Formats: sequence, C-alpha cells, structure tokens
Amino acid sequence: MIINIKKFGAILTSRQLGKEAWAAFLPDLNNISEDEKVYLDFSGVDVFSPSWGDEFLTNLYKKFGERLVLKRSTNSSVVATIDILQKVNHLKFNIE
Amino acid sequence: MYYMNNNLRIKEAADFLGISVATLRRWDTKGRLAVQRKERGEHRLYSITRLEEFLTSRCLELAEKWIKDKISKRPHAIFYCPDSSIFQARLYKLRSALSPREEIESFYSLLISIVGEIGDNSFGHNIGNWPDITGIFFGYDIKNRVIVLADRGQGVLKTLKRVKPELVDDSEALRVAFTEVVSGRYPENRGNGLKYVRQIIEQNPFDLFFQSGEAKLSLGRNNLELKIKKTKDSFRGCLAIIRF
Repeated sequence: MIINIKKFGAILTSRQLGKEAWAAFLPDLNNISEDEKVYLDFSGVDVFSPSWGDEFLTNLYKKFGERLVLKRSTNSSVVATIDILQKVNHLKFNIE
Repeated sequence: MYYMNNNLRIKEAADFLGISVATLRRWDTKGRLAVQRKERGEHRLYSITRLEEFLTSRCLELAEKWIKDKISKRPHAIFYCPDSSIFQARLYKLRSALSPREEIESFYSLLISIVGEIGDNSFGHNIGNWPDITGIFFGYDIKNRVIVLADRGQGVLKTLKRVKPELVDDSEALRVAFTEVVSGRYPENRGNGLKYVRQIIEQNPFDLFFQSGEAKLSLGRNNLELKIKKTKDSFRGCLAIIRF
C-alpha cells in the first residue's frame, strides 16, 4: 500500500489534524495483509512538523514496525521531522 | 467588519486601527501615517491595504503591547487566530508570502514548520484553559524578516508543573521545555515541539527570542548556546519572535 501524505494537506503541522488524519485512515489500514508493506510518499508536502508527524508516523510505526517504509524526501522539514521523531521516540524508520 | 471598498474615510480608518480620529489626524500631521488622498478636497481617504501594511510593520510592538496589557482584549483581526483552524489557514498565507522570494525558498519549509510548532503548542497546551483571551496573536513582516507569535495562556511553567511539580521558576521551565523530552499533557505522548524548534534554529540562519513569565531565551546565528535570563517585566503566556 502507498499512502500519499499530500492528500492530507500541503502544510502538516497541527497535532489535532494529525490525530484526525490517523483516526480517519485507520479503517483502511486494518485491511492490509500481514506481509504487505506500507509505503509513505511525501511528494507534494510543503511543510511538515513533529506534532502532525508524531500522531501519524509514530502510530504507523507502532502498528507496522519494519513493514513501514518511508520514501526518501528532499523536503527539509520532512527530513528534520523524521530525524527528531526517531531521536525522541527511540525508533528507527525504514527509509528507502 | 466588512468594508464595501478599499478606501476608508477617517472615522472608518480610525475604527479599523482601533484608535481615535484625533490620533489619526495627529499621525497625518506628523507624517507617521499620512492620508493618501482627499475626495474632492474634503474627505481624507485611507486604503485598507495601506492600513494593513502599517499594522504589519508594527506587528512586534503590537504583539508585545497585547501580551503585556493588564486589560485583556482581542488583538486586531489581521493578527488574531481564535482557533487552530484559522492559524492553519494563515500558515498557508505565510507560505504564499514567503515562497516567491528566491533567497529564502530553500528554507521556507523549515521556517513555517517551526512557526507551526510554536503556534500549535499554544493551542495544545491551553485548550479549555485559556485564562482570558482564547487564541493567539500571529503576525509577520516579510520586509523586515520577522515573525511574531504570542498567547495570553498559562505559560510554560504552569503547563510543565503538571508533570514536573519540582519546577520552581520560569527560567528552569524554559530550559526543560527546550532541552528535555517531557509532555505538559501527560500521559499524552508529546513534548518534542520546542526541542525541534531549537534544533532548526541552531542549524539555520534564524534567530529566536522566546519569553514566558519572567524568563527570556535567545538562540540564533551568533548565539548557538541556549541563553536564558530573568527579565524585569513579566507576563502570563508566551511570546516568540523569529528573525530570518
């Protein structure tokens, strides 16, 4: 499965909206088979921050672990957010 | 308030700025805010665009005045974000204002990202607990490369004391907020926003001034060490000024 993050908006900085995005998307995630990978594509996202990211990315990681794959992004706020989420939550995202 | 056209007569312009007609006349005489044209030589007319530019150029001064004011009142509508959805919409406006400028295009996403974090922090930590005015002051002056956010919320110390009751003063609370991963809304998992802000400020050509209570923090291009000092003037809530 590929999740296009830009479908949630171009500026993703609000914790409340991150929480809502997670809640809205959760039913779709429940249909994923046990060996399927979940790819996250950040193309088209302009601004990203840890508040939104923590609600969505960290929860995805908790649910899918190594099966969650973040597609490498060149957007500086996406890169910086992934970096801090890994540090503060002591986790290592699978990035390719 | 809705205005039918872009040109306001002096009474409307004074109302728009929240000042008296006499003050506006005095400003015209002194050249501080000159009247733009007169209608058939009788009425002074001010364009809304010019009035907004005038307010924008004073956003720092107005934010400080608003947060320190003993009397609580809403800030001017062009700065006031009563809820997070309006703040979110204004972040898009800020992006539009920033992105055509080539020299800052490379880091505008980081800049808006930290502005989003600071504003979101104000809403997240004060939800249902605003002491007087709900929401934040959010202004920016692109020409002078400055962004200001202010809230009359509970402040960092009171918020963090819920999870770290041993905190004794504003300076200690600011240090914890910018250096330790701790959430003021425990057991909710949060508390990385201001650490992120610090990291971005340290790695980019930005300067940050942040005050809460009687403690002020500065960090930036020529000042990579987190400096926290006690201030003479104290206020409830938070004031953040970012220069870029």
